[in-house]
Formats: sequence, structure tokens, C-alpha cells
Amino acid sequence: MAVLTAITTWTVADVQHFARRAGFGLNAADAAVLQAQAPGAAIDAWIDGLGAAYDTTAFTAALATADVVTEPLVSANTAVAGSVDVPAVPGPHPFLVEGANAWRNNLNTAQALCAWRMQHDPYAFQERMALFWHNLFATGWHKVNNAALMLKQFQLFRSQGLAKFDDLLVAVSKDPAMCIWLDSVLNNASGTNIPNENYAREVMELYSLGADNGYNQTDITQLARALSGWSFTFAETDYIADPASPTTKYPADGHFKVYDGSAISPDTRLWWGGSATLSYAMHGTGTISLFGQPLDITSTANGWAKGENAVRSIVSVRGSNCAQFLAKRLLTHFVTTGYSAQDLSDVAAMILSAGFDLRAVMKTLLKSQYFFDPANRFALAEGPVSWLVRAARMLCPSLASANGQTPKGYPAWRLVMNGTTTLDQLGMKLLDASGPNGWKEHTGWLNSNTMRYRTKVAAALTLAETRSSSGTTYPLFPTFPATDWFSSPPATAQSVYDQLAARLQPGPIPAGVATAWLTALWPSTFTWDAASQTKARELAFLILCSPSGQLY
Amino acid sequence: MTTRREFIQALGATGAALAGLSACGGGGGNGSSGGGSTQPPIPVPAAPILVVVNIDGGWDWLNVLPPNSGTNLGVYQAKRANLGITNPTLLTDLGGGIALNHDFIGMDQLHALGRVAWIPGIGMPNPNLSHFTSIDLWGQGATVPAGNGWLGRFADSAFNPSGDVLRGLTVTSDLPVMLKGSNRSFVSIPSAGGYVFPAYLFSGATMPDATLLEGGWGTALNATSIDPGYLAAAQAGRLFFDAQNNPAFGTGGSIATRTPTVPYPGDATYPVTKLSTAPLTSSLSNQFKLIAQMIAAGLPAQVFFSRLSGWDTHSNQAVDHPNLQRALGGSIKAFYDDLSSITTASGNAQDRVMILAYSEFGRRVQENNGGTDHGTAGLSFCVGRAVKGGLFGGYPDLTNLDSNGNMKFTTDFRSLYATVLERWLGQAATSTDGLLGTTYPRLGFL
Repeated sequence: MAVLTAITTWTVADVQHFARRAGFGLNAADAAVLQAQAPGAAIDAWIDGLGAAYDTTAFTAALATADVVTEPLVSANTAVAGSVDVPAVPGPHPFLVEGANAWRNNLNTAQALCAWRMQHDPYAFQERMALFWHNLFATGWHKVNNAALMLKQFQLFRSQGLAKFDDLLVAVSKDPAMCIWLDSVLNNASGTNIPNENYAREVMELYSLGADNGYNQTDITQLARALSGWSFTFAETDYIADPASPTTKYPADGHFKVYDGSAISPDTRLWWGGSATLSYAMHGTGTISLFGQPLDITSTANGWAKGENAVRSIVSVRGSNCAQFLAKRLLTHFVTTGYSAQDLSDVAAMILSAGFDLRAVMKTLLKSQYFFDPANRFALAEGPVSWLVRAARMLCPSLASANGQTPKGYPAWRLVMNGTTTLDQLGMKLLDASGPNGWKEHTGWLNSNTMRYRTKVAAALTLAETRSSSGTTYPLFPTFPATDWFSSPPATAQSVYDQLAARLQPGPIPAGVATAWLTALWPSTFTWDAASQTKARELAFLILCSPSGQLY
Repeated sequence: MTTRREFIQALGATGAALAGLSACGGGGGNGSSGGGSTQPPIPVPAAPILVVVNIDGGWDWLNVLPPNSGTNLGVYQAKRANLGITNPTLLTDLGGGIALNHDFIGMDQLHALGRVAWIPGIGMPNPNLSHFTSIDLWGQGATVPAGNGWLGRFADSAFNPSGDVLRGLTVTSDLPVMLKGSNRSFVSIPSAGGYVFPAYLFSGATMPDATLLEGGWGTALNATSIDPGYLAAAQAGRLFFDAQNNPAFGTGGSIATRTPTVPYPGDATYPVTKLSTAPLTSSLSNQFKLIAQMIAAGLPAQVFFSRLSGWDTHSNQAVDHPNLQRALGGSIKAFYDDLSSITTASGNAQDRVMILAYSEFGRRVQENNGGTDHGTAGLSFCVGRAVKGGLFGGYPDLTNLDSNGNMKFTTDFRSLYATVLERWLGQAATSTDGLLGTTYPRLGFL
């Protein structure tokens, strides 16, 4: 039985468990501050992002100089009329991928931006929820082929990740990247055309109900009809040309529209860049039967789009199935995979009772005695993006500190990403899921290759690795062990270990392993000098690479 | 983003695109049976290698091996009015009312040599139209989820638990359920270089002693009561550590370089293009080159796993599907040819390798508006010198579809697995049946 009653007191260890799961960790000092507050109010503030600790003003301002790496010159494609060289942009500068930079369509930059945000956003919970929803509503840049639209979708997860689930499901269904990803833009059910089932199947199987959980093939076909013509348009001003090759253009934004033959606004493009005064007539007409109930898919009652009533009926008619599906996903990401059938039922009942209000659901779950049960602490293998970001939060300068440094003390995230190789090899190619089912969590994160890459990234994080780009050498992860990693100069090797373990927060490390490390690193008299600080880096590396270092 | 041209094609204008096909050649596969006459299969080699190719996304094999006569053709023409491949000049007649699409380049040559065993209609009772459920079922080799895969169970049974770390390999960066065992899993090696521990992300100087961390992984594995995440991390780390210690990984953790002896799709000299005449690309080519490199370097792998994704052609099939077929067929033919130049102490690689290709399902017979949706019965095939070529199992009856308009399977997929386990991987009949839960009829291609 999952006891969903809220805790009334908490320890620093509880706080750190909460912060690892509901954010990207807290250091000892910040955890102590939170622990001094009553858990109910503190968790409310954490989730709502309310209060000085979660003020994003400085964070938002820092985005203007968040990318420390020089953006290289883009040479003009002289075969295209009007092309010009785009000069290099010395860092620091914003991550050049959205808005007027949409033409760059650079997944590497988009991934770097997301990592920077996760590392530094004081409202960590919105980034954690965005990461969760991105895995659930997994979408791939390789098909969408537009980094700006992928980031628009990620922002949707930040802004509506705590809405009512049915509202979020509708918003995702209307999202331009999603409309491309699962072929809604090509779903034509007008006249005798046979609709494309891709989105209709996956929205129930992967996004709301689970495979074969409350629907059948007929429902898929009917829902596909309801969602036919779901597409988007964009303003001419959002159609951003590549200055170095001006015939190549990318929409920087998109606005949902049902393609039903109706007029589109002047100075507006069709989803694929075409121009017309009328949208294609792709939306089906008439009444469908979904879950055995008739639905007029041409209705716009309640201000809903044509067919929106069908998406909403997934939650309203199949609520129990949907709540069970959501409960599984939430438990797997936030609590444990070792839940019982009763635990699952209890959490699903709570979701139903909350009317699918995700804010209320998350507050109940993350305050619960069940969540804080010691058996659930370190019971999950951490996903690679979370693992990487959490380590960066613990080892690199804080936002205020990094922002005050010259050069800025931020990781060279664009170089860390190594194109898109690093996150791909770590097992979570952020913003570019290979399929709509996303990534398998917990032990699914771990295989010989992903562990290989965790050790490589751990080396970059802890051992002061540098990388040259455009004639400048950058630290991949600026780190300052002597000043940042230790609250007081360690007097013994054991103290080095204790302070590092408290900072990195691995799962329990067998005593014999830790002893072997310390004996090998400090075989004789301990002195806290430069050599020992290098050894401390190596110890941090060993902790991050160890089996315990993959748990959270 | 999708171009205007692709969009218009996706809306149904397929004819013009396909009409240009013959001008693209076909990798030497010109529609005739070219490449030589049928040769008898060689005996199963002493050191066989299985290369699994995952055709990921549920391929529309009905357009690869379409009917070209009889009642099946009538149904096919009616339900594939826009996407169907019915022009005889685009097909090689295989006899029995079945033809081979010329876009599947190279395969007509291998077929003519008698090197291809086709198994159309392969599937399972109670098929599932979900990619992911179906992938799991194909991986597990069971219609009741078992949690591990048929090749993982083979590894549990056949591999030395404390050795043989490189006997099962995937050249993908993930670890599919097919390769997961209860006691051990396959090792994932997606590149030929930098397979060394410890290593920086790019490069660096001082590193801790590797044995310190290996000691941690080893201690974890030797512990008695540990949680699944801890154990999985320890196993994965130890597997990686042990694998990169193999002598085949030389200085810098790299496998000895090797230059392929034939062009592969993606190489500048490869003669076939995409439908658009843009260069043909294939991620599978790179995987096959890596496997060839590993075999040449003497890695003791018995099973390799590879993947070509992109087959989920709900839309834009008229463009995407021919290109995918060219990538798959061209890569297989190049790999097959390339292997003949590799001879190690274990024999010639072309003699030793058998390719097994499978997909999680076939697609709906009735096309939608520019693509095809999820279906059921699939097409698997095996390629190799020891393979007896031809058609195995029955071609589905397109006049007798299920209630959702999908094909009924004719050959249980576990018959394929049983055949491979017993007759290629050398498992005893009783062991084979044990790995699959019961006895499935063997197929006659081995």
C-alpha cells in the first residue's frame, strides 16, 4: 500500500532525496536551508517555483551570455543568389538556435541550451518536469528537422507540465513538432481518403493509456479520423532564411490550425512553407464512434478545435486506464520501479481523485510518506541527462559565481555535446528520440556502451579536461576543487571522501571499495596540497563511475 | 523540414517518382537474374557467425516481395492503387505468383545465386500492432513476455559465464531485449576506436588507475544482496572493462583498421543513388563495415546485432520506401561480397556468416493517403553461402485477411529461431526447444 499521507517532518537526507528526484540535487548548505522549513510549505514552493530561492530573474538575464563557445563563421553558398558570409560570433553569447537564429537548425546548440538551463535554473522542478514529459511525449529532431520547433515543444513541457493532463495532452497534440513527428500534418480523411493512423495509435498507446489498455483498432481508426488535418501555419516573419544560403528557410514558430479548407490569415505560410489563401481540406466530417460513444468531429463547442473532443475523451471516458498509465510513468521516474499492484492502484486513484490536475498530483506524490520511504532512496538508476546535469550542479560554479567570472564559468556545453554524439552514446539523445516510445528508464539506461560513455563524461567533469575550438581552448567543465568542493580544507583522506560523497550523493558504496580507493590514492601521509587536490579529482571520478554513482 | 516536393508526393503523386527508377540502375541488379547461376549451399561451417539485421519500424515487405499474378495480385492492385509495385519492368519474377522489387538492389543477384531464404508471412498468433509490444515479442521469442531475449537466453546457455565477453556483440549503442539474458548480456560496441578505459571525452593526461574502478565493479558483482540498478551498473561496467581488455583492441583501444574491398552505400564510388539522384546513404553500411573489421581482427564474436531504422512509413512511402530498400539491399550485397576477402584462422568470412533479417511486423494491405499503417505478418530472410535459397513457408492469402484488414501469418517466427539455434548456432534439439519453451517445426533452408 502506498501511503500518500504527507510527511510532517524531514531530515537533510530526506531533503536531498527529494531534491535529487524533483530537481537536480542540492548541496549540503542549500539542503540545510530547505530542511529548516516545514516540508509541506517547502515542497509547495519548490513545485510552484514561488519564493526568492526560485526567482528566475538573474537566470533569465544570464541566458544572454550563457554560451561561452565561439560560434564559427558560416561561409556563403555562392551558388545561391544573395548569400553572404555569416561572421563568427565570439562567446559569450546566447545559444544561437531560436528566433532569428532558427535557420541554424542546430541540434547540438539546442541540447546545450537545455543542459545549461537544467544546470542553472533555480526553478529546477520545471526543468525536471520538462525532462519527464520529453521522455513520455518523445519526439525526434531527425524527422521534425527544426531545432527551434523542438525547443518550442520543450518549452511547452515547462509551461504546461503542471496543467491538467487533458489540457497538456491537447496542447501536445497541437504542437507543431508533434504534428510533424507523427504525421498529423499528412493525415487526410476528407472524402474517401483513408486517414493516417500514426498519431492516433501512439497518443493512446504511448501518451495516455498504454498498449492495449482500454482501446482497440477501431478506436484508433476513429480517432485518426477525428484528428485528420491537425496541422499548423506560421507567419511570414517567422520564416527565417539562412543568410549563407537564403533559399533554405526554417519556421521559427508555428500556430495550430485544422486544415479543413478554411481561409488562412494573409501573410501566413502552410506548415511545409507553402503559401495559399485556403488550407487544404483534410479534416474528416461527420460523427465518429470512439470508445463506443458518438462524437461530432466538426464541433467547435467549448471553443475546442474540430476533433479536440476526441482527444479529451481519452481522459474523460477512459479515466481509470489513463490514471493507471500515468501512475506507472510517474512512479518509474520519481519513486521506484518496485511498486506493488496496490501501490499502483493507490497512486492511480489519487490521480483520478485530483481530476488529473498534475500540480496537485505531484504535490501529493512528492510529499507522501511513500515517496520518502527509505526503501525508495537510491532505488532508481539515474538517467544520463539527469546524472550529468546533477554532477555539473555539484561540481561547477553556481550561476552567480559563474556569471561573475571572466571568462564566464559555465561549462562549454556545446563542446561537451560533441555534435550530438555524447548524449546519444550516453543513451538519451535529448530532443531527438529515435522513436515515439522514448527511453526505457532505471536499468534500461545501463549497458556496456552507456557505462563506457559515463566514464568518459565523468573524466571531463572531474579531471579538468579542455577542448579547443576556433583557436580557443575551453575547459569543458570549469571546476575549482580547492575553493568549491570542500566546505573546509580536509585534514585526512577520509575527510576528502566524506565531503565528496556528501556532494555527489552516490548510493551506498561498499566500505571495502572506498578503503581501497583511499589507500591507493593516499598511500602515505596526507597533506592538502595541489597533488592531493588532483587526487581529489580522481576520487570524484571514481565515485561518479562506480555502480553506486549511477543510483539516485 | 519536409520539402514541398516531398509533400506533394506524399499526397499521392507516386507514378512520376517510380518511373525514374530504371535510370538509377540498381547496383548491378538490373532486373534480370544477373550475377550467375544457382549454386548449391556449402556445409554449415565449423565457426559460424550470425549477423542479425533489425529492419526497424515494421517494414512494408508487401512492396518488396509483391504478388504478381493470381487472386493476390487483384487484391494488391485494389488496395495499393497508388503505392503498389505492379509494373513488371520494376520487378523480377520469382515464380509462384511472387516478384522481387528492383529497389531491393543486390538481392536479385543473391537470390539468383541461391543465397537467400525468403520467409514471407512470418508472424505469430495474436499479433500486436504496437511497434513496441511486437518488438518485445520478437525479441523475447515468446508470445508471453519473458523479460529476456532468445539470443540472451542462448548466451546464458552457451557462453562461458566468466569469459566469452565478446561472443555476443551489438554494433548499436543500445541493448535490445533480444540480447538480454538472465545472467549476462551482449556487449555494445558501436565504433572501432577509443574502446579503452579509462578515457577522457576527447583527450587528457592523468587518469586514475583503471583497476581501482574495476575493483568497484567486481566487488559489486560479488556482493550477495544488491538492488537491480546497482547490479545492472556493475554488470555493464564490468562487461565494458573486460571487453576492452581483449587483445583485439590495440593501442588507443582501436580495432585494426581495414579498408573494405567493395563500395558500400554511402561511399562516393557506390553506383546507386536515392530516388532523387542524391547520394544513397545507409547507416547499416557503417555497421556492416565495423562487423567486417571485427571479424578480420579476430574478435571471437559468434553473434552480431545491427539495425536499419526508418521503416515506419505511415507517410511519404513512395519516396522513403525505395530509398530504404536500396540502403538495405545494397548494404547486404556489399557486405556479402566484402566478406569473401576476409580469411582468418577460423575460415573465410563469407562462408562463416549468415545474415538473418527481421522486422517487428508487416504493414496494412490497404494503403492510406500516401503511406501504410501497422499490419501483422512479416517477411524475414536469411542470406549466406550455407543457406538453401528459395521460399519457405506460405505466402499470405490476401483474399483472407483478418478483421482489421491485415495478413494472417503462415510461419511461426519461432520456427525461424529454432532453425537458426539448432542448425546454425549448434544447439542440441532439446536445448533449442528449451530456449524457446516448446518445439517449433524447423525450416528447410539449413
